[in-house]
Amino acid sequence: MSAGTARAGLPVTVEDQGEDRGRYLLDREGLLGPLLLLPAIAYIAALVGFPLVLAIAYSFSDVIVADQSIDWVGLDNFRAVVKTPNFQNALRNTFLFTIVSQVIVLVMANALAMVLAADFRGKRLVRFLTLLPWTTPIALAVLGWLWLLDNVYSPVDWLLREAGLLGPGTWLGPMGNVYWLSEPSKAQLVVLFVHIWRTLPLATVILLAGLTAIPQDVRDAANVDGAGFWRQLVYIRIPLLLPIMAVAVLFGMVFTFTDMTVVYVLTRGNSDTHVLASLAYFTGVESGSLAQGAAIALFLFPALVGIAVLMLRLARRTETN
Amino acid sequence: MGEVRRWARRPVTRRDLLRGTGAVALGATLSPLAMERIRAAAAQATPTRNIAGTELKLLQWSHFVPRYDAWFDAFAKAWGDANGVAVTVDHINTADVPAAIAAEISAGEGHDLIEHIVPAAQYGPSMLDLRDVVDEATKRHGPQADVARLNSYNPTTDTFFAFCHGYAPDPANYRKDLWTEAGLPDGPKTYDELRTGGKQIRDATGIQLGIGMSNEVDSNMAAQAMMWAFGGSVQDENENVVINSPENIAAVEYMAGLFTDAMTPEVFGWNAASNNQLMIAGRASYILNSISAYRTAQKDQPETAAGIYFGSPLVGPGGPERALAHGHAVFNYMVPNHSQYQDTAKEFLLYLTSAYDQATSESELYNFPAFPSTVPNLVEEGGPLDVDPFGSDPVDKLAVLKTAESWTRNLGWPGPANAAIGEVFGTFVLPTMMARVARGEQTAQESIAQAESETTAIFDRWRAEGLIGGGQ
Repeated sequence: MSAGTARAGLPVTVEDQGEDRGRYLLDREGLLGPLLLLPAIAYIAALVGFPLVLAIAYSFSDVIVADQSIDWVGLDNFRAVVKTPNFQNALRNTFLFTIVSQVIVLVMANALAMVLAADFRGKRLVRFLTLLPWTTPIALAVLGWLWLLDNVYSPVDWLLREAGLLGPGTWLGPMGNVYWLSEPSKAQLVVLFVHIWRTLPLATVILLAGLTAIPQDVRDAANVDGAGFWRQLVYIRIPLLLPIMAVAVLFGMVFTFTDMTVVYVLTRGNSDTHVLASLAYFTGVESGSLAQGAAIALFLFPALVGIAVLMLRLARRTETN
Repeated sequence: MGEVRRWARRPVTRRDLLRGTGAVALGATLSPLAMERIRAAAAQATPTRNIAGTELKLLQWSHFVPRYDAWFDAFAKAWGDANGVAVTVDHINTADVPAAIAAEISAGEGHDLIEHIVPAAQYGPSMLDLRDVVDEATKRHGPQADVARLNSYNPTTDTFFAFCHGYAPDPANYRKDLWTEAGLPDGPKTYDELRTGGKQIRDATGIQLGIGMSNEVDSNMAAQAMMWAFGGSVQDENENVVINSPENIAAVEYMAGLFTDAMTPEVFGWNAASNNQLMIAGRASYILNSISAYRTAQKDQPETAAGIYFGSPLVGPGGPERALAHGHAVFNYMVPNHSQYQDTAKEFLLYLTSAYDQATSESELYNFPAFPSTVPNLVEEGGPLDVDPFGSDPVDKLAVLKTAESWTRNLGWPGPANAAIGEVFGTFVLPTMMARVARGEQTAQESIAQAESETTAIFDRWRAEGLIGGGQ
């Protein structure tokens, strides 16, 4: 029924004409599409775009917390921060924690997903426990690790002592504690471990979904052809899971790359564990040098843009397939 | 009156109920005597400005002595009730205060009074100059202690970016039983004694010294005090960086030796509570801290508390006149420019100062007054430091604090407590400098050179902002 025509048996009223015009407008894709996208665009512009533009403006200026009037200083902040050993350490740590943790997560998540895809007694409970670290608020979870690895009261150390692995004349040395968060190598390992612990569940769930989506007839055909576990893994599962693996890794990378909670709660940057996000916070907010804090944080930007481009390409390729 | 009637007609809401039960709970934690003193003081308050009908929102750190917060909330509320001011007090962890300040400045709204326990000159441009409050308090109560004045004043801008109402001394806390065994029953008096005695104790008992080299405030203060004792400092009187000096190199080398002889790697991973925990757990022979750990131990571990004694700052190669300590906490209130009730905030500060005997007593002698005349008996013979009313045995255990004003210095001494030294502390340049050498990663010279480079960059930046002097 076109606009302006009457409903069967009823005379056309002014209200009907208005209603029809409204319907007609909402039928136009050119109008409806942008209209539906508008809330999302407004949300992104306000909560992502504006802060990003502000951070870029701050990083090229001399703003401090107490005086946020912008005077442009060009690249001075970037030049100043790249020279500092603290920044160089933080940059290295950011990439190290992200790359190493995600490589390990990828391997472990594949194994875990295959275990969870199999049928066994208590599977639901195991799945629930596997997902638990992801559902716990990150600050709370890291606080738990902080207590577990406490320098004085660590229950982990107590277990090691009771097992005869820690203390005078033992494998882990003469001291009564491991001091997990006090020495750079150990503290960095702990940060890495916590990142793995918290991103593993998400990757596992994503890969589990991918595994269950592999058609049964493909697996049956492989079995009939006599393909063993490794052959199926290398020639069937991994190639078919590759796109979804990439999604899992990219999510994990974004979460790890931008995280400051783990370092902030566990070490506050002690023992050479600062990452770009935590260093930016301490410099920009704790010390009031907002411009330098913004400059440090902006070093995350190119890597995140790269990851975003990869994700978009992947999404497009999946769509095309 | 109209407001009162409207309130009476309004049905009781969940918020009212929570407020009411909160007030009852609060009253329950305070003694009748404390409540009576609060009421009496509030009745005598005589604001010089018309503040009736205004509001006062306070944001402050959660005090290390919980009793103080209970007292303060009732104290502020009683003053508000007596003067027609609606008072709200929010307490947050001291580590969260900088982020809260930054957020409120950015938003251009928030609390009318913000208390922080370290001098925060970096926020100066967004804070009201409180010179008039300092002048008025001085007129009423006599001179402000140097440590308080210098921790709240910026000589470059000639402004008081905060009003300092008190400070907590930072004495040594030592285990008398262990140090008696080491032949020093009154604890170490010099850095040499600290090292030899500390080593002897650790070798004999496995119990270490507890001086942090970590990203936390106590480590900052310990490092700075050590540099002072060895004759060095981070900046000079004119706000020029002088960290790369033979005296500071000696201090860093000493700290590395102290670590090797008498400590364990845990001091590299401490937070601000760690040395307290270590002392209360009976696993430290000596720490640098306020009396809060001792007060906690008195309640939770009385046997441990009985063995904890206090000492004044240690003498180093710089001589007795450089045996100094930071104020462990410096109680600075700031009034943001965006506050709508600045007069009310100022009146409250003057009121708090006038009733400081209560603050000192309700903090269990943690808070020392910025205006000494407000707690006249504190350092007198037979006063509370000679006869601790909070159960010390012997009763004069805290007597060493009677001289605290003479050995307590401002952040950044001999220069002012400026924004640059604040950032040096905020980014933990000094404890990291010590830790690098103690861990064997660098020599003292290399580590100090790195710290100098970092410190100079920080000073240059704040100098460019016009907030600090020097640089000639």
